[in-house]
Amino acid sequence: MAIESINGCIGCEECIKSCPTDVIRLDPKTKKAVITFPEDCQICHLCRLYCPVDAITLTPEKTIPVIVSWG
Amino acid sequence: MSKTKENKGISRRNFIALAGGAAGAVALASMGLPLGWAENSPEIDVEALDLEKISTEVLVIGSGMAGLFAAVKAHDAGAKVMMVSKGRLGSSGQTPFAKGIFAYDPDTEKLSIDEFVAQVSRSALGSNNVAYTKQMAEHSLDRVKELESWGFFDSAIYNKSFRKPIEERNIPVQERIVVTHLIKEDEKIVGAAGFSIDKQKVIIYEAKSVILCTGAGGFKPNGFPIGDLTHDGTIMAYNIGAKVTGKEWNDGHPGRAENAAACYDGWGNMFEQKPGTVSIEVHHDLGVDMNYKAYVSGNSVKMGHPGEANDNAITGGPYTPAEFKRENVERKPGPDSEGGRPPRGEGKPPGGGKPPKEGGGPPGMGGNVVGGSSAGMAIHKSEGLVPINDQCESNIPGLFAAGDALGSYMSGAIYTQIGSSLAGSAVQGGVAGEAAARYSKGVKNVEISDSKIEAIQEEILAPLKREAGYSPAWVTQTLQGIMIPNFVLYIKKESLMKGALAYIEELRDHHMGKMCASNLHELRLVHETANMIISAEMKLKASLMRKESRCSHYRLDYPEMDDENWQAWINIFKGEDGTMQFEKQPFGQWPNQDIVNV
Repeated sequence: MAIESINGCIGCEECIKSCPTDVIRLDPKTKKAVITFPEDCQICHLCRLYCPVDAITLTPEKTIPVIVSWG
Repeated sequence: MSKTKENKGISRRNFIALAGGAAGAVALASMGLPLGWAENSPEIDVEALDLEKISTEVLVIGSGMAGLFAAVKAHDAGAKVMMVSKGRLGSSGQTPFAKGIFAYDPDTEKLSIDEFVAQVSRSALGSNNVAYTKQMAEHSLDRVKELESWGFFDSAIYNKSFRKPIEERNIPVQERIVVTHLIKEDEKIVGAAGFSIDKQKVIIYEAKSVILCTGAGGFKPNGFPIGDLTHDGTIMAYNIGAKVTGKEWNDGHPGRAENAAACYDGWGNMFEQKPGTVSIEVHHDLGVDMNYKAYVSGNSVKMGHPGEANDNAITGGPYTPAEFKRENVERKPGPDSEGGRPPRGEGKPPGGGKPPKEGGGPPGMGGNVVGGSSAGMAIHKSEGLVPINDQCESNIPGLFAAGDALGSYMSGAIYTQIGSSLAGSAVQGGVAGEAAARYSKGVKNVEISDSKIEAIQEEILAPLKREAGYSPAWVTQTLQGIMIPNFVLYIKKESLMKGALAYIEELRDHHMGKMCASNLHELRLVHETANMIISAEMKLKASLMRKESRCSHYRLDYPEMDDENWQAWINIFKGEDGTMQFEKQPFGQWPNQDIVNV
């Protein structure tokens, strides 16, 4: 994982807006932030730095997708 | 909407079976890993996308340091301004991670501005544009004082301080909009077009002038925070006839061997710090010297400066002027980064406050260091649009660029003054903003024809409409595999660059137009990937053309500097037949051959 979890989200969308690579989206039903495109996380921690309630956990590891066959 | 479900295209699963893909490949697909060619099932109704038209005088694209000052200064010069950004004000591009800003204070510096410019020019081996070097120094303190008044130096995150002057001026800001096209009519810029990644709409911007503050880019490499920087501005401008430059130079930022994908692990101490100012300290750094060491002796290498004791065992490699070798330069303690380096002990908030509490050494770069973390990026402000004068103006009337989107050669083709990257973006943003406002007073808005809008809309949305195609993630990975190895762009030689070019031309001719997107996130990736492919072609061709070594461009087959033939920048433009064309522009001259005076 890279961005690992969001616990205690208050739905302020700070992390969604501050992510340069559009990893996090708002769940339209729960109005909470959801890790949606983790493969594009560059582990820069801006989401965590902007989160007002310290809800975001990141890990430094990332599974880099291997180049799989072309079909 | 259900139309795509009825596609006759080969289903992902069937195709894998046909291709002999093992069960393992199916498992990978179910884990969300990128496959190559597959059926595309859009999650949104492409036919129902809205079209919105917006009119302004000065359109600023990008919301980092350059964009901030471009918008503010264009507004203050009397123009109606709008800012549009792929990300968020103060939280996209490289700005959020840059912590040191150079300020030339005549009251405290020992060197005059002219002496400073001369020192930068010696380190840059003639490759800097002295007008932009001097302009950066002259305006830096004023920009830093404005930043201070907005609270920039009070927080490690910049959105709030950037919002202050924008909100005070009621400048509209549109965030999370991917601009994909610049629009030209009658040889002049008339606007831009893009799409929202949140709302299902295409937006057409009509503008009298456009300022690209779009940063530079890389190949979405690991370990350096440039995942959102894909040369968008440069390629959009190239596509409508702008000249671009600087594609042969290389940024040499290292990453860490351990957890190589984590930008934060390499640079986190920096990211957590409040910004501060730095004073004169001219280096000849972060070109390809470390990568040469790694290439010759194997990774990992110690992070250090050219000429440092630990590289004595390595002979040859990139030339460093004697004046800038470690033993000859008084260096502030600790490892250095380029302009984004956080201030150390000497870094004080402007106005004489206390040094930042967090002012520890950058960048927490412990462990084994490896190259390639910023692959695909050139030295700050060396790659980008060719300026025709010192007002950040391009060869297309009404199109301006500032910061890393402008090939101003403010630092030259190597990192020279620490902290000047951020200062230069602020200064050039301000200059471009005022120049664009002046230009806009003399022109009228031009209505963009419906047929042009329709054609652009079709180009933007085509990947969503494809019934099958290549995933942008797969094409990006393939591009990375071709371009990031250290024997391609870092340590260059003709045979391997030609080999890489053949692959890149294949991606350009065959894959670029066949990428598909099932949602707006992927649509962004498709357009970004296309921009990276064209930038890769530029980088390989410019590197092949420059048959010498200088600053951050190092060729094993031409290791010496060639002053007779190569006191020149390379400009790239689209020829009338659509092919990529190259020309030399002598150092020290503007494109019209006027001498650059300071």
